[in-house]
Amino acid sequence: MFEFIKFELKYRATRPATYIYFGLLFLMAFLLVVTDAQIAVGATGKIKDNAPSIITGAMQVIMFFGIFIASAVMGVSVLRDYEHKMSSIIFSTPIKKLEYLAGKFIGSFIILILISSGLMLGLMLGQGVPWPWLGDSKDLLPFNFMAYLSPFLIFIIPNLFAFGSIFFAGGTLAKNMVTVYAQGIVLFMGYLVASSFLGDLDNQYLAALFDPFGLGAQAYTTQYWTISEQNSKLLSLSGVILQNRLIWFGVGVFALVITAWKFSFNLAGKASKKQKKSKKSTQEVTVPDQIKIPLAQQLFGFSAEWTQLKELSIFYFKWVIKQGPFIFISLAGIIFVLVIAFVGGTQGYDIELYATSSRVLDLIGIFNLFFIILAVFYTAEIIWKERDVKMNLIYDALPYPNYVSLLSKFFGMVLMSILLLIVLMFTGILIQFIKGYPEIDSHVYFNTLFVDTLFMMVLYVFLGIFIQTVVNHKFLGIGLMIVFYISLLALGQLGVEHNMFYFARASIGTYSEMNDFGHYLSPFSWFNAYWFGLAIVFFGLSILFSVRGMEASLKNRLKLGKLRLNKRSAALIAGSLLIFMGSGSFIYYNTNVLNVYRNSDEQEALQADYERELKRYQDIIQPKIVDTYVEVDIMPFQRDFVSSGYYILKNKSKEVINQIHIQKSPDYQALTTMSFEPEANVKEEYEKYGYTIFDLNKPLQPGESVRMNFKVEFTTTGFREGDSNNDVVFNGTFFNNSQYFPSIGYSSGFELGDDDTREDNDLEPKERLPERDDRKGIQSSLFGDDADKISFEIIVSTDSSQMAIAPGYLQKQWDDGARSYYHYKMDTPMVNFYSVMSADYEVIKDTWKPPVDTLPEVSLEIYYNKGHEYNTDRMMKGMKESLTYYTENFSPFQFRQLRIMEFPRYRSFAQSFANTVPFSEAIGFIQQIKTNDVDLPFYVTAHEVAHQWWGHQVTEAGVKGNAMLSETMSQYSALMVMKQHFPPEIIKEFLRHELNSYLIGRTFEQKKEQPLEFVEGQGYIHYRKGSLIMYALQDYIGEDSVNIALKRFVNDWGFKDAPYPTSKDLLGYFKEVTPDSLQYLYKDMFETITLFENKTEEAEFTELPDGKYKVDLTVSSIKYRADSLGTEDSIPLDDWIDIGVFAKDEDGKDKLIYLEKKKIDKEENEFEIIVSEKPEKAGIDPINKLIDRNPSDNVKDVEEAVSS
Amino acid sequence: MELVIQNLSKTYPNGVKALKDVSLNIPKGMFGLLGPNGAGKSSLMRTVATLQEPDTGSIALGDIDVLTQKEEVRKVLGYLPQEFGVYPKVSAEDLLDHLAVLKGITKNRERKELVKALLQKTNLYQHRKKSLGGYSGGMKQRFGIAQALISDPKLIIVDEPTAGLDPAERNRFLNLLSEIGENTVVILSTHIVEDVLELCTNFAIINQGEVLMTGNPKEAIKTIEGKIWSRSIHKDELERYKLNYNVISERLIAGNPEIHVFSETKPDEMFEAIQADLEDVYFAKIKENSLATETA
Repeated sequence: MFEFIKFELKYRATRPATYIYFGLLFLMAFLLVVTDAQIAVGATGKIKDNAPSIITGAMQVIMFFGIFIASAVMGVSVLRDYEHKMSSIIFSTPIKKLEYLAGKFIGSFIILILISSGLMLGLMLGQGVPWPWLGDSKDLLPFNFMAYLSPFLIFIIPNLFAFGSIFFAGGTLAKNMVTVYAQGIVLFMGYLVASSFLGDLDNQYLAALFDPFGLGAQAYTTQYWTISEQNSKLLSLSGVILQNRLIWFGVGVFALVITAWKFSFNLAGKASKKQKKSKKSTQEVTVPDQIKIPLAQQLFGFSAEWTQLKELSIFYFKWVIKQGPFIFISLAGIIFVLVIAFVGGTQGYDIELYATSSRVLDLIGIFNLFFIILAVFYTAEIIWKERDVKMNLIYDALPYPNYVSLLSKFFGMVLMSILLLIVLMFTGILIQFIKGYPEIDSHVYFNTLFVDTLFMMVLYVFLGIFIQTVVNHKFLGIGLMIVFYISLLALGQLGVEHNMFYFARASIGTYSEMNDFGHYLSPFSWFNAYWFGLAIVFFGLSILFSVRGMEASLKNRLKLGKLRLNKRSAALIAGSLLIFMGSGSFIYYNTNVLNVYRNSDEQEALQADYERELKRYQDIIQPKIVDTYVEVDIMPFQRDFVSSGYYILKNKSKEVINQIHIQKSPDYQALTTMSFEPEANVKEEYEKYGYTIFDLNKPLQPGESVRMNFKVEFTTTGFREGDSNNDVVFNGTFFNNSQYFPSIGYSSGFELGDDDTREDNDLEPKERLPERDDRKGIQSSLFGDDADKISFEIIVSTDSSQMAIAPGYLQKQWDDGARSYYHYKMDTPMVNFYSVMSADYEVIKDTWKPPVDTLPEVSLEIYYNKGHEYNTDRMMKGMKESLTYYTENFSPFQFRQLRIMEFPRYRSFAQSFANTVPFSEAIGFIQQIKTNDVDLPFYVTAHEVAHQWWGHQVTEAGVKGNAMLSETMSQYSALMVMKQHFPPEIIKEFLRHELNSYLIGRTFEQKKEQPLEFVEGQGYIHYRKGSLIMYALQDYIGEDSVNIALKRFVNDWGFKDAPYPTSKDLLGYFKEVTPDSLQYLYKDMFETITLFENKTEEAEFTELPDGKYKVDLTVSSIKYRADSLGTEDSIPLDDWIDIGVFAKDEDGKDKLIYLEKKKIDKEENEFEIIVSEKPEKAGIDPINKLIDRNPSDNVKDVEEAVSS
Repeated sequence: MELVIQNLSKTYPNGVKALKDVSLNIPKGMFGLLGPNGAGKSSLMRTVATLQEPDTGSIALGDIDVLTQKEEVRKVLGYLPQEFGVYPKVSAEDLLDHLAVLKGITKNRERKELVKALLQKTNLYQHRKKSLGGYSGGMKQRFGIAQALISDPKLIIVDEPTAGLDPAERNRFLNLLSEIGENTVVILSTHIVEDVLELCTNFAIINQGEVLMTGNPKEAIKTIEGKIWSRSIHKDELERYKLNYNVISERLIAGNPEIHVFSETKPDEMFEAIQADLEDVYFAKIKENSLATETA
């Protein structure tokens, strides 16, 4: 055996591939951590560049590509002996099978580990040396060898063993590499399936257990690790990680056992040959001399070549699809797609979407990756097919042209792709039928699969053919394709972002049922012309320089290429080069000449310059908008709009204003002009930023007003690079004033927000919001400092096939030719925030009668895209129920109308404007709500309606903690409406997701986690933690008390101009209604980051003589305070915490039979509780009201006590 | 039609000189290319078969310049490489049909008949539906000749076709070749002297990239008649004999070497004159050549 190991090691040591693989891993690891690419593995914000979590992440990312190396090293081990025909020599020597196999395996595995150590060395060298270009090393922790070794031992080596064994088995038993690739692909699929399960709270553990890479187990273990834990903690081989590793170790051993069992020295082929021979020798035959070979006409030229092309294409096609691995990959892919479709792919709160064609295509879009993998591997196989079976000399001496050979291989691949796409299409249709949504949108299927996907596949096949012919080495070619693909992913880090540099990139865009493929088809077509031009140039060159016969040297290939160059091939290459350059020029003209192109560095630099140059104007006193009148003409099919109107600007200060600063829309598509009455002259213009300073001819005295006329012409010419404008589209225009209309003064919103980016641009770190007591801050509302409340009037016109909607009440509607006009006016002041929308809508109308007779009726309307009526009832109900609750508990609704309008799924949110709520197609409208699901459309509606109070009635100051007033209170309001209308299990399910989202959200914190009262735009705090805190608060102090506080708060702060309220004000109202014993809650809930670790240690019951039950509980509690990075310190307990006992009801569901708050003032506590029903479960904080990182151990099954 | 090879030289990138100024005139009929393994036979044949480029020299097949008009050559070429594989899962009939299409036989009916005849001719007809993976070496070789015969080639190149065949198969194979050799230029490379003797009207001996002689086999034998001597010696004496005499070949007979010596006169009393055959010509030439290169 040692002989074989030695031989294998010696052999590998002489192979360049061994060093190439090592170098590749080393280089990838090194580059990953010394460039900005490390952001991809999480090295941003406060996470140190060499944090253990980054090292682990980097190793695992690179390990994906390591699969290819593992398959190449382990798969070929025994296979090589077959291919070199060594097998008959080796196998005829008297060796034992096991020794041979073990030697081969161990030798190769040692090599594989040595190769993989390149990965670790690359990381260590990258992070351990202070490379000059990395700047100061403040982002680095002290070098810790264990941080590298431990993930290498826990993840990389076990993975290599498991995968290596599987590949070894595949290569040894199937005797071909394609099987090994197929295994690799299936393992990768396993990872994808596992990661899609990970998002699902109920299946996380399963995913963690079975993910072949161990990534799932790692993610599961570390999912709630805070920034400081990520920076310091090393993973240990325990828990689910250990279980996962053991499972895959077992799989590896199993693969080896199978190999040892099934492998046989008898060469299968030989055996059958021998049979044939013996059979033949019995039937003596003579050459039939009398046979005359008939003369057959040889035809050459185009028609013959056409016949040959057909013959060969079908031949290759059949060859590919008859291969076991192909069938295997396809089947596995289909199963994978089905799993994804039925298990994964849910939205938040585990809600499914209706299985529309586009939705299903989204889900199965993940199959695209397999197309690329198939393109890479099968193109290589098909190019090397003749050479692999050693028939190349026969083929090469046949009189058919080179182009027929390559083109037929190409067509073979294309036919294979089409077959797969057809299978995929039927899979999609099947999913739709099974999911009960049999509306097949054929043009979506066609465009997505047979245009978008097929084109991409075809381009990669062309590229594969080119690389394989040029490199003329199968594995090197495959490796290069992979490197090419990865480097495309890394290119963005070098500032190369234009899609013209990304091979095969051409986006058909997001399909929206409202806007179809919209305006994306034109750039999509041009980009495809561009890439096809290039690909066909590649193909032409491949024809010229492909190897035919024995000559592989570059010199001879060039010589032969010259011979092959004829009019036809020259015309092909020149023609496609022309298409490539022509369409390239056209694209460039569109994206960079007609439109403005900036890569993100340039964009950031512009923003940084803006800040440097204009920040000095931030604090100058400006008048405020008090009145807005605007006419907007939308030309949806040109994707243009023109809006003209005026602001009345009033000097609300006590000082004279001489100059007015105007910030135009930063979007170059919007051309803005302005004038003032009385007049003002341009004093200074910063064209680069669209910032203009006007000198007022007549200074504005305190209390005086000036009228500012403006005109914004938004025009779309040609197409933009990358994400095009999705605001103004064929059907479903939606934009708001802050995007396109002029604003007053310096906009701090344009400043760079991310500290890393700021540092790159030589700017100091920046607070995300002003301090809570900032004097200027409390003078401006969350909607900015341009205005307090405004009077608002708008006339929107659009194509008469559509309807135009803006806030306000419809005054008049008329048609003029092919255009429809809508005149809206708001009769009370509103915040300076309004949207303009235009689409072809269906409408549902209803009215809501307020609980108090003196209040006016409210007309409720939902404008939606035809076909999207599934959840409109839920939304309507949501509007009614929440209007009732809020009116009864907070204050009357301030409008007589409330509208929900759908907009295309380019963006997925709902947003509350005065009496109007734009609501994305992507959420709510197409969610499929099942019996036990959280009714998301209802919830989102209730949340948005609540904003009519929290935001529109009470507008908060734009300072730290602001979102606690609008978003957290809207979460609370919606929760209370839900609590009234849904069973407790639904609320529990909702809160379970909120807790999970909060705990995960804080692990991604970039700067610092804030306590709720200082939240600074952190969604995981103001939404998720907000829900939990407010639910607990109303549980502790009572829903009524909370509502009384809120009622007082609206009463005092509603409909008010500056100064605006802050979280401090609101907390004052809450504290007022809270008994002294519970005042401590505010510190835990709002003022600090406090977490609990509650756990039930023991739970026993004894039946009492009177038929009742005594429950003995031992529980433990730890209370933590966390700092902004999540470093926790335990603090003394003095808390009221729920103790609860569950029984089972008739349906076998949990029923709470006891729930009481107990004083907990030490870590270990024991309780004795008497209940009258047989207890099933019991515990501390049983319904998870407190924030707890292990919520599932709060409750335990109650066992019957054993009397001693 | 005649194949004219002039001054062909080829040096491989690793420095091996495969062909050194090779010139040959090959008329219609069977032409044997005799030489040991590694002599440059395959290089020469691949070059003629358009699959390899010489460094210098020219090849003409009738009016066709083989080096530049590769397409024209391929139209009239039948080529059986020395070593070749087949698609193991494809049947002989299908693969032959497939190759016939690529040879330009695009009319279905004609092709069908041709394939049938070729399979019958090569005695594979009853195995036509069988996957090639199950073929024996001889069957595979016959399949190779069948594909080389598609479309009545004017130039047939068969590289070591009899290597690895058992005697019965070899006979069958040679018969097949002899039948087609009359109107066509057939180049047969081999290291087996009998092949040439039995089949070829003309032949050349090639070693280390050089043509050592060309001619008719019978005439070649005449040139050495009376100069080949043989004797049986003891194993231990072999080295001494090799030093003292021009030993061109040796073979074991009943455990002791029998040596052949090329000499104008009888080397010593123990040698007896034997009837020279082509093999002696071959070995004599090879010996001469290797001595020449050693001293050079």
